[in-house]
Amino acid sequence: MKGRGPNKGGARHHENNRIYAHPLPLTFSDPSSNRTRPILGLLGLSRSQVINPHCEGYYDASTRSVWVVNQRDSEILWRRGFFGKGNLSRSEPSWFVRQVKDRQIRRVGSNASKMTSEELREKRRADRKQFKLDRAAAIAKVAAEAETIFETEGRVVVPALFGPQIPSGATWKPKTDESEPATDGNSDETEAIVKNTPDIEEALEDMEHLQLTLQEAFFLTWNFDCITILNPDTDEPLSLKDIWTSFQQVFLAPSTSISLTPVLEFDNPFLVHYAAYHHYRSLGWVVKTGLKFCVDYLLYKRGPVFTHAEFAIVVCPVYEDPQDQESSATNIQNASPFTWSWLSTINRANSQVMKTLVLAYVTIPAQCRLSKEILNSPACFAHYSVREVIVRRFIPARMRD
Amino acid sequence: MDDNLEKPTAELKAEAGDDLAEEDQSSGDEDQGLDWTKLMPKAARPVIPKRGDKEYEPSKKGGSGLQQHILQRSRNAMFEALRADRTISNKSLSYGTWHPSIARVSVTVARGTVMGTIGHSVPRETVMPNGNLKTQKRLELLPEEAIYLIERGSLLCWKESEMEYLNECIFESVSGSPMTVQQAYTEMIGKEDLTMDRYQVYAYLKRLGYAVTRTKPPSIFYPTAAPYPLSSTASFSPLSIVGRISALFSSWISKISFLFLRNTFNWWRPLQFSNWFKKDKNYAFIFRSLRFIPSGNKVPIYIPPETKLPLSPYEPFFNLYKPPTPFRKSAPPPPDYQMVVVNARTTPMPSLRELTAIYDNAPELLPPQRRVRNPPQAQGVSYKKSATNPNPNALPDTQSQKPDQSTASPSQSSEKSSIISGLASWFHRKPAPPPAKPQRKPNPFAVLRQGKKTAIIATVDAGTINIFRFAQGAFEVDPWF
Repeated sequence: MKGRGPNKGGARHHENNRIYAHPLPLTFSDPSSNRTRPILGLLGLSRSQVINPHCEGYYDASTRSVWVVNQRDSEILWRRGFFGKGNLSRSEPSWFVRQVKDRQIRRVGSNASKMTSEELREKRRADRKQFKLDRAAAIAKVAAEAETIFETEGRVVVPALFGPQIPSGATWKPKTDESEPATDGNSDETEAIVKNTPDIEEALEDMEHLQLTLQEAFFLTWNFDCITILNPDTDEPLSLKDIWTSFQQVFLAPSTSISLTPVLEFDNPFLVHYAAYHHYRSLGWVVKTGLKFCVDYLLYKRGPVFTHAEFAIVVCPVYEDPQDQESSATNIQNASPFTWSWLSTINRANSQVMKTLVLAYVTIPAQCRLSKEILNSPACFAHYSVREVIVRRFIPARMRD
Repeated sequence: MDDNLEKPTAELKAEAGDDLAEEDQSSGDEDQGLDWTKLMPKAARPVIPKRGDKEYEPSKKGGSGLQQHILQRSRNAMFEALRADRTISNKSLSYGTWHPSIARVSVTVARGTVMGTIGHSVPRETVMPNGNLKTQKRLELLPEEAIYLIERGSLLCWKESEMEYLNECIFESVSGSPMTVQQAYTEMIGKEDLTMDRYQVYAYLKRLGYAVTRTKPPSIFYPTAAPYPLSSTASFSPLSIVGRISALFSSWISKISFLFLRNTFNWWRPLQFSNWFKKDKNYAFIFRSLRFIPSGNKVPIYIPPETKLPLSPYEPFFNLYKPPTPFRKSAPPPPDYQMVVVNARTTPMPSLRELTAIYDNAPELLPPQRRVRNPPQAQGVSYKKSATNPNPNALPDTQSQKPDQSTASPSQSSEKSSIISGLASWFHRKPAPPPAKPQRKPNPFAVLRQGKKTAIIATVDAGTINIFRFAQGAFEVDPWF
């Protein structure tokens, strides 16, 4: 939903442009003065430096994620490239803000000016429910009128399902006057509760952390070195090599003997998904999880606060050698073609929300052409490839001219 | 967004209504001559009831008087429509003979405009009245064409037979035993690669007004569609020369830089900044240097030696021509679409390799055009000439000047052909005519959604047809940074 007034929407857009000005956690600074900068620029030189925010996060193998507990770091990673998700929020970590506001409302009884996304969603859902009730009532009213005309006059009037008397999504407006007294009544009650309970607000502590998927964490640490991943047991930073192997090992079946570490495989889900994640990130998309839409990733043009996602990505691994698939112990998802009913399911779910379904095929190198040694470093990514197929329905009746 | 979701009569109704309207329209178009049903008294004329809106819900007491009344009225309309006799005008009725040995129906009397896009002529040896054998051309129908015509009442069909029948004089040209619709179905399905699924797709497309032919000619006499013009198959066209050069150039650059970087590219630290240079201190540089994972459909898919890939069920079966496309059945132009037909229950979705095989023979699509709602009046004419043509049958001016162009791409929709010829003329003539208005760049999302090439696959599940298109994506071509 866009802002109500043009001014408000514009202001919010402007505000978002300021907050989310950087597409990546790295920023640039130029210490040179205004006079020397153009001269250096002419020579293709510049004194500007890359500023690395140096964030920290804990690797959590059981949830297959990296936890960023520091508030400053969470904010940087969210605002510069929309990395991660608050574990108590739907996207941006906003639990603390919501708690503070909640308590303010309980204490003062007034609503703070800016709503968090969770609150907006609740309001939208309530509005939608009310709209459906209103519409149903209007339709029932028209039907009842038609019924009485039929019984008294014998005239047949087909009751309308839409029209001037029945609200539509475009014409329906929430009744603000009626809804407010209701919440007032509630807050009176809660106020009473708050008055009776001892004051615990002072001790409010931010319980939320930002959780990065392994793909996000590896993307940040490998390419930009802007996050240090710590071992939660020892608080010691993990080396890039440790990260590389442990991110793959969480997806492998546990080895039978303790001393033997599991052998790395080409079809590791981490590698396949990372290749797709990295590919779309490198093209400038903001890539977020698409679990709610039956897919692996969603692609946003600038980020979720600016636009809705345009594309819904399903990662489909393709074994270069079909025999590798047969002998594999991994059983990676979506490696075999879908049934048509499943394709229809995900396509329907996504076209309903105005997203285009994309199958991102990631080829898995054949074991017969490469040694497994190459899996010991990210150099193996040179042998994977990503390509996409866009799925849409074809409706001949609409394609006639 | 909410509006779309909430409206009770959003899309389904429009679609359903559409289908009916289309069916009515196409059969009306094909008859052309005097429609006798229109002269019948209104009561005897079949009226197809329009599908209406769904009632919101039954009233609580169970069907009220008004609801019962409306329901009964709709039911009566349906029975009325079903009771009516199906008739056809004598002027659009054709006659033919089914020859099971060659799986063809030979047409002895061809009438009606429906025959304009159906059938092909084949030289066959026929016995002349004087007993001599003579090779004569005759019109023959494939099984799907025959069933379609028989079912819609446009063809009376006899089965070839040795037995002598006493024929009325009107049927002197046909011999054998008359066939019913059921008989046509049982005898013709299964012949000449025709399955029930394929027939259902064929009939569906025909009813919508498409001209439909086979992609793979079933015999040497079957006319083959003209190949796609070079411009659209991307070899030596003006359109793709630019693209190819730039592709070549960029691949050359990347190769060089890859060779150059191979020693310095550190896979443990892929992104490195200089201390002093200006060029790498921006986000575009960062994103560009992150693009090192091979991507795009130009990367070949490795096939290990001695691997036998299974035979693909995904081969285009039908060629489709949109109703406005000028179509000559003796020399069909390049098709507007090619369609694969599969059974949705027994065939899984195509694999990447199967899709790639289809793309290899498919033409490259032109970038989608922005729709101009209200072109400015002053520039309207010149703009339309270069971008959109209001009349799909009229050829644009540039084409009539260049006959070679008009033969090269008559099948392309007028939009496409005008662009091709526009580009061609731009390349042929040195002083290019100044465009009245610079063409707006197409919407980047529309470009991404359309992709480079397309594969259209009809899936049939017990008579229900659902058609998908799988476009070959090219996200790597136009990144955001």
